[in-house]
Order: sequence, then C-alpha cells, then structure tokens
Amino acid sequence: MKPIMSLENSIDIILTPQFYTFIREELDLKFAYQAKQISESLFDDYLNNSHEYQYHVYKCDNRWCFIAYNINEIDTFLESIGIEKHRVSKIYFAQQLLDTVEFPILLDEKYVLQNIDDVVTLVPRQLMNPNIEYYPLDTNRFKLKNGVTMGSSLNSYVSLKETILLGSIFCILGGISIVEGNRIKASISKDDAKLTELLDENPRYTSSMSRESILAKYEPINRIERAKREAIKDISKFLSNRSQLKRLTIDKNKIRAEINTDNRTINRQVKEHARAKKFKVSGSSLAVKVEKNL
Amino acid sequence: MNLMTIQRYKNEIILMLTFIFAITAFYYKFSASDYVNKNRAIIQKQISEINTIESYKKQWANKGMANKVKLFKTIVPSAKVKRFSKKSSKLVASYINLTSNDLNKITNKLLNMPIQIVKFQIRESGKNRFSMEFTCKW
Repeated sequence: MKPIMSLENSIDIILTPQFYTFIREELDLKFAYQAKQISESLFDDYLNNSHEYQYHVYKCDNRWCFIAYNINEIDTFLESIGIEKHRVSKIYFAQQLLDTVEFPILLDEKYVLQNIDDVVTLVPRQLMNPNIEYYPLDTNRFKLKNGVTMGSSLNSYVSLKETILLGSIFCILGGISIVEGNRIKASISKDDAKLTELLDENPRYTSSMSRESILAKYEPINRIERAKREAIKDISKFLSNRSQLKRLTIDKNKIRAEINTDNRTINRQVKEHARAKKFKVSGSSLAVKVEKNL
Repeated sequence: MNLMTIQRYKNEIILMLTFIFAITAFYYKFSASDYVNKNRAIIQKQISEINTIESYKKQWANKGMANKVKLFKTIVPSAKVKRFSKKSSKLVASYINLTSNDLNKITNKLLNMPIQIVKFQIRESGKNRFSMEFTCKW
C-alpha cells in the first residue's frame, strides 16, 4: 500500500479481514460486557497464544459478533503507511459493513471484499468471475457505528469493571464526606449567627479584654450580694419566739448578728444551726454572737 | 499527553480523579470538623460571657432602680422614716420604732431588690422595737 504523505485531520479507518478474526455465536447473554468477558475463551482455538489480542463485541441480529484483533499489528501497519496513531479517531471492522457489502467491492487490483455467508471476506480478484460488476466503497452511503479507539484497545492496567467499582466507591466516599463536612459546618453556624447578632448589638464586647474587665467588675458584686442575702436569710432562720435578734450589721463584706435566747437549750440549738451554716459562733450565757466573712 | 494516551490510560485516569475527589472531600470533612471543634468552644464561651455581662448589668446596674427604691419611703408610716436620702444612684435610709412586721417587710423588699447593699444595720431599741439603717447603690 502506498504511504500516505500527511494528514491534517483525524480519520476513521475500516480494517479488512486480514487484521482480525471474527466469530458469530448465539449466546444467552443480555449485556455486551458479559459477552466481552467470555470473548477471550471463545477464540482459544483460533488465535496465536504468543500474541496479545483485544476484543470487540457487538450484537448482530439475535446473535453476538466477536472480533479479535492485535492492536500492535494494526499500529505497525498504520506506521508503515505513514498514518500517525494520534490521527486515528476510530477503528471499524469490515464485518460491520455487512449490510453494505451486498455486492463485491473492489479494494485494489488484487483483492475484493465479498459477502460470503454473512461474513465479509477478503477474496483474491483472480478467483472472481471476470465478468462480475464491482461497486465502489462509498462511505457516504452509510453511517459507521460501534467503532473502537486506538487507546482503549490497548490493555489497561485496571479493568473497566474494577474502574467502575473502585470509582463508584471513591465517589460515594467523597460524596458522604462532603455531606458530612457540610453538616458539621452547619452545626456551628447557628451559634456563629447568634454571636454575630450579639456583637452587632454590643460592639464593645468584641474585645475579649473588654469583656473580661466588665466581668471582673460585676462577678464579685454578684457573688458578694448573693452571699449577703443568703446570710441574712440564714440568720432569720435562727430567730423564733425564744430567740430574738438584738443587732444585725453588714459592713465591709462582713455580717454580724447578736441573738438573745431564752434558755440554754435554745442557745445551744442556735449555736449548732449557726455552725452548720458556717458562721463563726461566740458569746456566753444566753447571748449568741454569729459572724461570717462574705 | 495526546488523545491516544488518554484513551490508553482512561481507567487509571478515572480512578485517579475519583481517588483525588475522595481524598479532597475527606480533607474537607476533616478540616470542617477541626474548624468546628476549635471554634465551637470559643464561640460558646463568648456568647456565655456576653449573656452573663448583660444579665449582670440588668441586675446590678438597673437604670430603673431609682424609681423602685422610692417605695422605701412609703413602706412604713412616715413617722417611722427617720431619713430617706436618694442621690444619683445611691440611697441612704434609716427607720425608728419598727415592729417585727415592719422589719420583715423592709428587709424582704431590700433582699429581693437587685441593689448593692453597702451598709446594713438593725438594732433592738426597746421591747419588740427596732431601728434600722441601710445604704445601698445600683
């Protein structure tokens, strides 16, 4: 074949039967990938085991059509006629032109493409009837489909099945992580919005030093004032008909009270209650003095 | 990298891209979790501090207290009010001849009011009679 000088655009090529082996089988299979899985075993008896083959499967009528080809052999051939690999867009097989090859097609001076029992076959022209009329191969008359690409024909390190499985797992894990990440981020957004609202209302509290200084001012007031009230309530509980308040003073964070009791028993009870409430207790006879630092 | 190489390693490229996607998404989740863990406590502490400040201010620096403390002038008959002096945000009040009931009434009001008790004194002045003096501010 004459070398092609140069190509500027991508091209599709149709391979004649010497580049592939064809088998047609009636199999109870539903999907092409199932057929592809068994394709290698189908060609066991027909192919040279020392070569690596690629397989193309498509459905033809109610049967499955299997094509085995050696991409390196095709590659070498393309190089020999000056077609660069990257210029080849799709590869088609002559068998796929079955409906088109109703009549013999003259390929060159030596060979003819002929449909023999629904198999597109390369026949030497010498064997043909000299009076037969040949038809040209007009690619505009039909639409090529189910082609294979050069790249995908070369064996991948990872099978399609593994790619789909692992790819799906990665996508699902990625998706879950994104959803989870968004959920985690959203969980803080409510608090964040509340803080922004509070700071908008009180811009002075933006500084932590300012907040700490205000808290330092009010916390002791809150603690001491509550303690004062608690202590007064405690002292009021010591009082009864038999124990009367004589004096009560709150001054400089210290509370003091003097209670007069009617007898020693009441006196002892008041003292015990006062001690239980952590008052410092003193006094003699029937008078009780209680005091506490706030 | 020409088209054929891409076709040749299509499966590997798809796997690599999905793996990068999974790793990136996992990193996103990890950083979101890290961000939340670091910031949640800080944000909640800030909210708590601001709420506490607001609550303290409302309680111990209540602007409306000036009017409320006026009741200490009328809580007992005026004859028992020895002194009632309200200046700015400070009140000085003293009472005489109070019964136990008067004493309880004034003390309860004082204790339930969010004001700072600066000075507080109750003294028995006679049989079941008391004098009282307090200074408070708000």
